[in-house]
Amino acid sequence: MRLRWLLFILIGLSLASGSVFAEPSRLVTADGAITEIVYRLGQESRLVGVDTTSGYPEQTAELPKVGYLRALPFEGVLALKPDMLITSEQAAPARNLERLARAGVRVAQLSSRWTAEAALERILSVGELLGATEEARALVAGVEADIRRILQNTGNRDYQPRILFILAAGNHSVMLAGSDTAANALVELIGAENAAQGIKGYKPANREAILASRPDAVVIAESTPGQFDIAGWPEVERLEAWQSGHRLVADSMFLLGFGPRLPEAMAALNDALPGQREIAANDP
Amino acid sequence: MVLEIQNLSVSLAGTEIVSEINLTVSAGEVLMLLGPNGAGKSTLMKALAGELPYRGRIRLAGRELGGWCPGELARHRAIMPQSVEVNFPLTVEEVVALGRPAATRRCADSVAEILMEALEIKHLRHRLVPGLSGGEQQRLQLARVLGQIWDTRQDRLLLLDECTSALDPAHQQMVLELVGAMAREHGVAVLAIVHDLNLAAQFADRMVVMKSGRCFHEGGSSEVLTPSLLKAVYGYRTRVIQLPEGYPLVIPLASGSAQTAPLNPVCRQAS
Amino acid sequence: MIRDHSGRLPLAPALLLLGALLAVAALASIGSGAYDLALMDILKVVAGREASDPVAAMVVLEVRLPRFLLGFLVGAVLGVSGAILQGLFRNPLADPGLIGVSAGASLAAIAVIVLGGTALGGWVTLAGQWALPLAAFAGGSGTVILAWRIASRAGQTAVATLLLAGIAINAVAGAATGLLTFYASDEELRSLTFWTMGSLGHAAWDDLVLGAPFMILALMAAPWLARPLDAFLLGESVVGHLGYRTATVKKVAILVVGLGVGAAVAVSGLIGFVGLVVPHLVRQLLGASHRVVLPVSALMGGTLLVAADAIARVVVAPAELPIGLMMSLIGGPFFLGLLMRRKVM
Repeated sequence: MRLRWLLFILIGLSLASGSVFAEPSRLVTADGAITEIVYRLGQESRLVGVDTTSGYPEQTAELPKVGYLRALPFEGVLALKPDMLITSEQAAPARNLERLARAGVRVAQLSSRWTAEAALERILSVGELLGATEEARALVAGVEADIRRILQNTGNRDYQPRILFILAAGNHSVMLAGSDTAANALVELIGAENAAQGIKGYKPANREAILASRPDAVVIAESTPGQFDIAGWPEVERLEAWQSGHRLVADSMFLLGFGPRLPEAMAALNDALPGQREIAANDP
Repeated sequence: MVLEIQNLSVSLAGTEIVSEINLTVSAGEVLMLLGPNGAGKSTLMKALAGELPYRGRIRLAGRELGGWCPGELARHRAIMPQSVEVNFPLTVEEVVALGRPAATRRCADSVAEILMEALEIKHLRHRLVPGLSGGEQQRLQLARVLGQIWDTRQDRLLLLDECTSALDPAHQQMVLELVGAMAREHGVAVLAIVHDLNLAAQFADRMVVMKSGRCFHEGGSSEVLTPSLLKAVYGYRTRVIQLPEGYPLVIPLASGSAQTAPLNPVCRQAS
Repeated sequence: MIRDHSGRLPLAPALLLLGALLAVAALASIGSGAYDLALMDILKVVAGREASDPVAAMVVLEVRLPRFLLGFLVGAVLGVSGAILQGLFRNPLADPGLIGVSAGASLAAIAVIVLGGTALGGWVTLAGQWALPLAAFAGGSGTVILAWRIASRAGQTAVATLLLAGIAINAVAGAATGLLTFYASDEELRSLTFWTMGSLGHAAWDDLVLGAPFMILALMAAPWLARPLDAFLLGESVVGHLGYRTATVKKVAILVVGLGVGAAVAVSGLIGFVGLVVPHLVRQLLGASHRVVLPVSALMGGTLLVAADAIARVVVAPAELPIGLMMSLIGGPFFLGLLMRRKVM
């Protein structure tokens, strides 16, 4: 199983590095961040289908949806007669990807590591796959500059801020983001610390743990707008960070996609944190 | 001797229900088992059917019960339980066929036809068992049970646990006549639990009365069915008349019979 | 339709009709899907010739054909297992789901997925690629035996106790599954959803190689149970009276159900309702004799699952509905209709 995964990453990388194939005219993307990149590179006219995690920009709504990237149907993708499928490591089942490759679809699986470097690499890879290297370089330069500017800001802090990251996805499912998550990676990327200690992965929110976490800011990632209802979570509302407005409620793909909007996500998170003076005033 | 029982005891959950029973039934003989509720008749029957563990010996055709292989045993010993409840939509024909040996089930089975005819259920052959009346179901089960040992040549034992309880009087006669004929003409050994004393008197070659798990009395019907014995076993009053047909007739008397039967004080005092 | 005095359909025409339905379902299963294939191409591929669409051979031979075969086998096994359990328990409500067999099998499978790297590492090394189906099999038979033991006292099986035991086993297995889910990593969770939803979505020849031997073995052993199971319908004690070794019959029945359902769950996850609805329907139409019920339940179960799967993959194309969901959508209302009609009759 793992071997197969590795094989596909390798195929993906080899495809990404050398443009031995012709540029695709019918493209399917299965990963919200990758779809975003395609749009930012101005290559959306090639898209014939996307997966259900691709909800940004709004124009994606007009494209056929092939299902969830973790349960990609073989025939469903093939029915769109794509010549290329760009997706991430998270795509499953591996067997269907392998079958698509054998059916003549170029399958590229890009790394989905949660780092700024990986986000930039992804843009370049997609650009190369689509023969839009120039556009990709330009986009990377812009994104990189934005990231650098934000990192400069965060580097000037004189305290270690702590952020409580809450994921609201699906019905009534409210989870705390622990280590080994994209949320954790984003928090650490802006030099902050995850307030939910001792949790690995996304785990159902424990109301007492929320109170005990005493974060400097609360970030809530929603899979659909308005999903998180603060009225149902008095513990969150009670938090000083929430009371004093150090809070951010945003779309989960925006925050966690590690796509071209990464600088905006970092900035939004950073802006939710209190300034240094405030903290100093609160310090006993 | 088809069936020999020696020192048979059966315990259920630590309580001895049947104690030291000794019995024999020979080929062609109809032995009726009598006794009040809780005397241990059905428990004895279950031990003979192989459903309960026991102490002592049960021998069929001289061989210990445990020494038979199950398939062979089923061709020599047939059991009709007190009640068989069928919830699933089987037809009469299918249930009769269940008792027949495997080989006869593929083609038309003349024995099944004979039995359904004899027990007056042939017209019901395609009907579903759950929709039949209690009496029809009882005749059906008897047909199945008789079919089970029909083809066996010798050493056949038929165990009947109240096989006439749901039948009307005419069918009771018909069924027990058939059972009697199986014994007399085909040499089947029959052991039957019967509650109706008059039916027992009419059809038994021999009777065994059980009380509190033990054998209380054994003998012919005129010997067993006496007012004093019935009083002692069942605790109820009876008058027994010897019929010219050669077997006794038991008439129950109300417990306050001093007023209702003043004309026969001698008989009452005797009982 | 013509029925005889027992209200049954005659067997031969019923079998013909079912055969025809299976043929239609097979055609639908192999002929339809999200990917449009010309009928000529499908026929050419089946005949072993070159099709005009180069992908046709792959779609038909590697995707649709194993999916059809696996669907049929799983449906057949679930149908037969339901029939066996209902006969054994003399209860038309018994089904692999209700007494916890499926839950036990999927719990074991999930345990192997989640703990395969740690607590059950030795087992995975030892059993290799068989670790999962074998565990599902053990989990399946283990729960049947447990339910049976709890419900049996002094040679009699109390039906109410059995169903209660099933509910309890289901609850415990569900909780254990939940606990494992809690500790599962993101990647493991992805494989878990497959087990709990039931899917034929990535059926391939691999799955057939792994699951088919167990399922075929279970299907082949089932006819041996036909006559003893008929005897079971008259009561457990009668089975012994008629010369069958009751304990052996029970053990074989449990083995067949555990083996079959375990393997079915191992390759397709949890698919409900087939085991409950199919034998019930067969008995209503053709009677309760297991010589008819067992083979026809296999045929009908297989046909039903193949048909449901064919619908599941075109109804929201290019995406797919989980087959377990599809079965409940078809099976639930159908079963209710059956019960209501029966009351009127």
